[in-house]
Amino acid sequence: MADAAATAGAGGSGTRSGSKQSTNPADNYHLARRRTLQVVVSSLLTEAGFESAEKASVETLTEMLQSYISEIGRSAKSYCEHTARTQPTLSDIVVTLVEMGFNVDTLPAYAKRSQRMVITAPPVTNQPVTPKALTAGQNRPHPPHIPSHFPEFPDPHTYIKTPTYREPVSDYQVLREKAASQRRDVERALTRFMAKTGETQSLFKDDVSTFPLIAARPFTIPYLTALLPSELEMQQMEETDSSEQDEQTDTENLALHISMIESHSVTQAGEQQHNLGSLQLPTPGFKQFSASVLPTRWDYRRILELRRRTPLSCSRTPPCQEAGMGRKTSSITLICGP
Amino acid sequence: MPPSGLEPTRMNRKKGDKGFESPRPYKLTHQVVCINNINFQRKSVVGFVELTIFPTVANLNRIKLNSKQCRIYRVRINDLEAAFIYNDPTLEVCHSESKQRNLNYFSNAYAAAVSAVDPDAGNGELCIKVPSELWKHVDELKVLKIHINFSLDQPKGGLHFVVPSVEGSMAERGAHVFSCGYQNSTRFWFPCVDSYSELCTWKLEFTVDAAMVAVSNGDLVETVYTHDMRKKTFHYMLTIPTAASNISLAIGPFEILVDPYMHEVTHFCLPQLLPLLKHTTSYLHEVFEFYEEILTCRYPYSCFKTVFIDEAYVEVAAYASMSIFSTNLLHSAMIIDETPLTRRCLAQSLAQQFFGCFISRMSWSDEWVLKGISGYIYGLWMKKTFGVNEYRHWIKEELDKIVTYELKTGGVLLHPIFGGGKEKDNPASHLHFSIKHPHTLSWEYYTMFQCKAHLVMRLIENRISMEFMLQVFNKLLSLASTASSQKFQSHMWSQMLVSTSGFLKSISNVSGKDIQPLIKQWVDQSGVVKFYGSFAFNRKRNVLELEIKQDYTSPGTQKYVGPLKVTVQELDGSFNHTLQIEENSLKHDIPCHSKSRRNKKKKIPLMNGEEVDMDLSAMDADSPLLWIRIDPDMSVLRKVEFEQADFMWQYQLRYERDVVAQQESILALEKFPTPASRLALTDILEQEQCFYRVRMSACFCLAKIANSMVSTWTGPPAMKSLFTRMFCCKSCPNIVKTNNFMSFQSYFLQKTMPVAMALLRDVHNLCPKEVLTFILDLIKYNDNRKNKFSDNYYRAEMIDALANSVTPAVSVNNEVRTLDNLNPDVRLILEEITRFLNMEKLLPSYRHTITVSCLRAIRVLQKNGHVPSDPALFKSYAEYGHFVDIRIAALEAVVDYTKVDRSYEELQWLLNMIQNDPVPYVRHKILNMLTKNPPFTKNMESPLCNEALVDQLWKLMNSGTSHDWRLRCGAVDLYFTLFGLSRPSCLPLPELGLVLNLKEKKAVLNPTIIPEAVAGNQEAANNPSSHPQLVGFQNPFSNSQDEEEIDMDTVHDSQAFISHHLNMLERPSTPGLSKYRPASSRSALIPQHSAGCDSTPTTKPQWSLELARKGTGKEQSPLEMSMHPVASTPLSVFTKESTSSKHSDHHHHHHHEHKKKKKKHKHKHKHKHKHDSKEKDKEPFTFSSPASGRSIRSPSPSD
Repeated sequence: MADAAATAGAGGSGTRSGSKQSTNPADNYHLARRRTLQVVVSSLLTEAGFESAEKASVETLTEMLQSYISEIGRSAKSYCEHTARTQPTLSDIVVTLVEMGFNVDTLPAYAKRSQRMVITAPPVTNQPVTPKALTAGQNRPHPPHIPSHFPEFPDPHTYIKTPTYREPVSDYQVLREKAASQRRDVERALTRFMAKTGETQSLFKDDVSTFPLIAARPFTIPYLTALLPSELEMQQMEETDSSEQDEQTDTENLALHISMIESHSVTQAGEQQHNLGSLQLPTPGFKQFSASVLPTRWDYRRILELRRRTPLSCSRTPPCQEAGMGRKTSSITLICGP
Repeated sequence: MPPSGLEPTRMNRKKGDKGFESPRPYKLTHQVVCINNINFQRKSVVGFVELTIFPTVANLNRIKLNSKQCRIYRVRINDLEAAFIYNDPTLEVCHSESKQRNLNYFSNAYAAAVSAVDPDAGNGELCIKVPSELWKHVDELKVLKIHINFSLDQPKGGLHFVVPSVEGSMAERGAHVFSCGYQNSTRFWFPCVDSYSELCTWKLEFTVDAAMVAVSNGDLVETVYTHDMRKKTFHYMLTIPTAASNISLAIGPFEILVDPYMHEVTHFCLPQLLPLLKHTTSYLHEVFEFYEEILTCRYPYSCFKTVFIDEAYVEVAAYASMSIFSTNLLHSAMIIDETPLTRRCLAQSLAQQFFGCFISRMSWSDEWVLKGISGYIYGLWMKKTFGVNEYRHWIKEELDKIVTYELKTGGVLLHPIFGGGKEKDNPASHLHFSIKHPHTLSWEYYTMFQCKAHLVMRLIENRISMEFMLQVFNKLLSLASTASSQKFQSHMWSQMLVSTSGFLKSISNVSGKDIQPLIKQWVDQSGVVKFYGSFAFNRKRNVLELEIKQDYTSPGTQKYVGPLKVTVQELDGSFNHTLQIEENSLKHDIPCHSKSRRNKKKKIPLMNGEEVDMDLSAMDADSPLLWIRIDPDMSVLRKVEFEQADFMWQYQLRYERDVVAQQESILALEKFPTPASRLALTDILEQEQCFYRVRMSACFCLAKIANSMVSTWTGPPAMKSLFTRMFCCKSCPNIVKTNNFMSFQSYFLQKTMPVAMALLRDVHNLCPKEVLTFILDLIKYNDNRKNKFSDNYYRAEMIDALANSVTPAVSVNNEVRTLDNLNPDVRLILEEITRFLNMEKLLPSYRHTITVSCLRAIRVLQKNGHVPSDPALFKSYAEYGHFVDIRIAALEAVVDYTKVDRSYEELQWLLNMIQNDPVPYVRHKILNMLTKNPPFTKNMESPLCNEALVDQLWKLMNSGTSHDWRLRCGAVDLYFTLFGLSRPSCLPLPELGLVLNLKEKKAVLNPTIIPEAVAGNQEAANNPSSHPQLVGFQNPFSNSQDEEEIDMDTVHDSQAFISHHLNMLERPSTPGLSKYRPASSRSALIPQHSAGCDSTPTTKPQWSLELARKGTGKEQSPLEMSMHPVASTPLSVFTKESTSSKHSDHHHHHHHEHKKKKKKHKHKHKHKHKHDSKEKDKEPFTFSSPASGRSIRSPSPSD
């Protein structure tokens, strides 16, 4: 019936409310459809013997009809998808109608009724074209084992890696230079931040900002901080083997490291921090000052345990990409973990 | 009995026979120590001790024990209540009312006070009267069991409580307590015979919270839970006879590690530190093996415990079967620098387990044997572990230390013998303290004493060979272990005590050699030898004419007569010559073996048989001598100043293989700033085979030479290219390699070189810009990510290097230091320091080495006028709660500030800290630093030097430090440094003319009473402190502090007091003083209940009335009888007529006699001090009848 109604309503264009000229072709399209439905409602009313109808009641009836048809279409689609098809068949419609409590058997008789008015099909308006998404590259066709009714592959840029890293810098001097200054910057920024946010002492009475010293804070148990190796050192201890290092591998590692920093620094601000952190400044440093939330070093065994679970590797993992990802996750765990 | 009476008899005995005669009239066989309650919150301890003694004389009716600070509640002997007197003359050495302010007087009084309670003289603070019911029992020499209940409240010494103020239970907070102290200090925490010569077996019980662990000596027999399961009792048994002074205790929530290599060894550390403990102690078993092997003797105890605690008194303290270490010795595997230091500490403590704990000493004058042996075997361990170079270097270092000390301060006498007590014979008259007793010694002196002891032991080894030496030790040990197993023959136990004579006898028995001259020279005499050497080569005779002069007139020196080895390196080889040093021969002719003509292209044989090629072009063509060394084996305790040409020193540096020789030549080369010296030093620096310490000192020498040659120096700054070659990248020489400290030798060199380089100065006496940039680059490019070891020490040294590069600021007419006129170089330095110091807050380094260096560097900047001088920063770092190293560094800066800026405020702040800081070590250290870097000295005009300061310091050493021997001696040292021996010049002249004649120590006694005193009481002459006490009611200090510090009543020793009293009556006294004297004297005589029952807070000890002179000896004084029995319930009045013996008549008689004489004074006094009158009213009553006055708890106020 939906089909019927649709085809039936296809006629009757440019009726009463056609005066408003809509600019949007899609709107035009929908308006035309709606007008067809109104025609159908009007003719049905005429059939039923009404001479005239108020506009409001016609609108209401149109609305009802439209929802009814929509409901049929929606249900039919569900049934069709339920049976793993993409196109609804007649039987889907029948099931739908039955489900909605409509007696299907009466339908042929109704279709052949005598006083039936024939409505002209609505004028063929152009189906509105959905604007094409920006495509980057060719969509991949389905491989043979996937049936064609399955959805298409998304655009390639959403899943295919884009190699963006530069040629790694291999000049040892530059690398060392960079590593040193980066670490230094981070350290300075961090300490300045700490000094800004906390209490400070100064060597100059008249100027407290140029060389701010974080105020000395006595510990309740001073020997623990003094004796226990910092987590960074613990990590190094685990990582470093006793093998002799030579300048060559050193350069490679360093280069790797720097390039990682650079490739990630564009996109991932947070990640950059962790990479830098591995140079000297560990995230655990943060633990120190957010002691109320996170465990302090007092709880050092737990941190150790955690560290064993999530090896926070920095320089000894050759495949750049994975290393980057791996670190990202693990460092996140480290922050939220304990 | 006065020490003077006792000493000669002891000396005679020592010469006569080897047996040990106890100074006590009884023998202690067993002691139980039970501490049933320890309260960490209140820092209090409650418990009892039970001593089992056998009288050795029939008429024993008094037993003297040692006890300080403890409140004694009750004493019972064989379940009978016993009367006792508690009197501690060391609480206040001189009476605070005294106007005396001269150190001579104090030292004598202090020595007298200490010997008055010296257990080695049979004395003690606690005198217990044997109840008359037991006299018969005693006459039969039957066993006595003395049961003493005591408690300890907030002890200031002896036991140290560490209670961090965090949330949680005591165990969670890491609260702990441990025993500590200098020498025999066990009396501070329980009553005992606190002597190293009174051995007994022990049963130790400690009831502690279930979460805590009590560690003590001996075997842990069992731990028993209490019924409620909240506490448990640790039962320890020590079956090896041990002196009370070797008993220790540590209680805390320790983590326990059983040594994986030796199961009888257990380690304890504070929570969280277990991983460090594991690493630190993993080495200990090797030390055990070493000692057991060389001594061919098993470790004497069945178990060994190491405890690592915080706020340690000393880094290492050895007790019977247990050692207490500072927790700061723990380290992880990443730490390089601390590892050897910690291992040394472990080895030291273990050596003392054998000699010091297991084998104890007979008397103080035998201490050197134990210290010597333990130090010597520790040296052997060093030689084996760290190698001969390290060992020889260490010996040289120790030798230099002792030489410097003795030349500066005067001789260190190892075996003091005190005959007669006459001043003329005083072997230590050059010192400002008495060496008769360990507790009067300056700490520095004692350190040097130990150092000298082991050096002398090494001299003995040189004489009799190591094999014999070890045989002697083995003999001592096996004798002792045989004796220790004699459970029921306690007289055998004296075999476990070592004496000088016994030790020497063993040596002569074993080796058959006579070492008497050696002993006489180094042990019985103090001082070192000072040689001046020079030479001339007589070409005609081919003879080396060596001239060796001695200086034996300066203080701290002595004359040496005997053999002296001289080694001459000639072209043909190295030759040893033994010269005989005699009184009047200075010149020695040594024939040379080689002709002066050089044999070209011939290798030159060295001492060790090695043959080397040398470039001989530098040497004198006429002489075959390459270098000459005097006493190369360091077999004399000496300082040698030898003159030889610069090229000879250079040859010695390059080719002599002995590290000591190399170091000597480096020192000598400082005086020869020539390119040749420079070359020799650089060559040594580069030579990998060379001992790293030599290379390190070569760095500093090179810096000095470069500075002297600054106008002619060519090329890059000294060491820069060397450093670049060794430690920088090949491709980019300005960048240092990433750290790799696998090779420790180059690590140490890498650390040191920049520090030395920073000492370089250009023609304007500034650090060259190039050097500073270089160091800054080192810091910038420092990269430790791939290093197996921590770089915290390295980074700290880099900061030191920055500090070294600082030169005094150019200041235009004293402008105020602000940021704007900051030197750009200093700005860079400051930038680094700020960053490092701030990073330390976020990421602390091991032992905060970097913070320490930063603080030092900031002080350097302040001192050089780049940064405004201000102690506020340091003061905040010096607060309690920072790591101890940081505190010390900060305090050092404050001390320095006090000196430079002459700040009275800071001095007060420091003094306040000395009095109040919770950590004994820090208090000791401040005194020490103030002494080393005094704000002013004796002959200096200073605004700081005023009367109030004198009084304050006087009070500090007089009474403020009575709980810690070491601290008191430190205060004495400081007083000496500031004011010298005599009365401080800033004081006004004494008004009363009483204390005028102060030059001679004896003169403090009024001449009119001396004859009387000598006649009446032997000890008076010997006891200068029997000088009248002047009632110092106006002394602002006497009231406030003292009373708070000691919170127990003391019962005064009436004997001393009354005899003193009598003296006073004979004396023409000034009216102003006499007014108060009688009252005070009387109140002192009031029998006071000792401690414990002090329920009324107003009842304070009467400080000002403390007796200076407590020369109580064995002789039974009739006046003893003011002893009173103490009730089991302290407050109840308890009368026991039985205590008043036949002596009582005599006693009363005395009192009445002089009471009459004083009556008139008393009345005057009463009128003046009406507020006092209530208490004073009672005094005459109590005074006349002590027996009835027991209930009065003498709340006499201090004036």
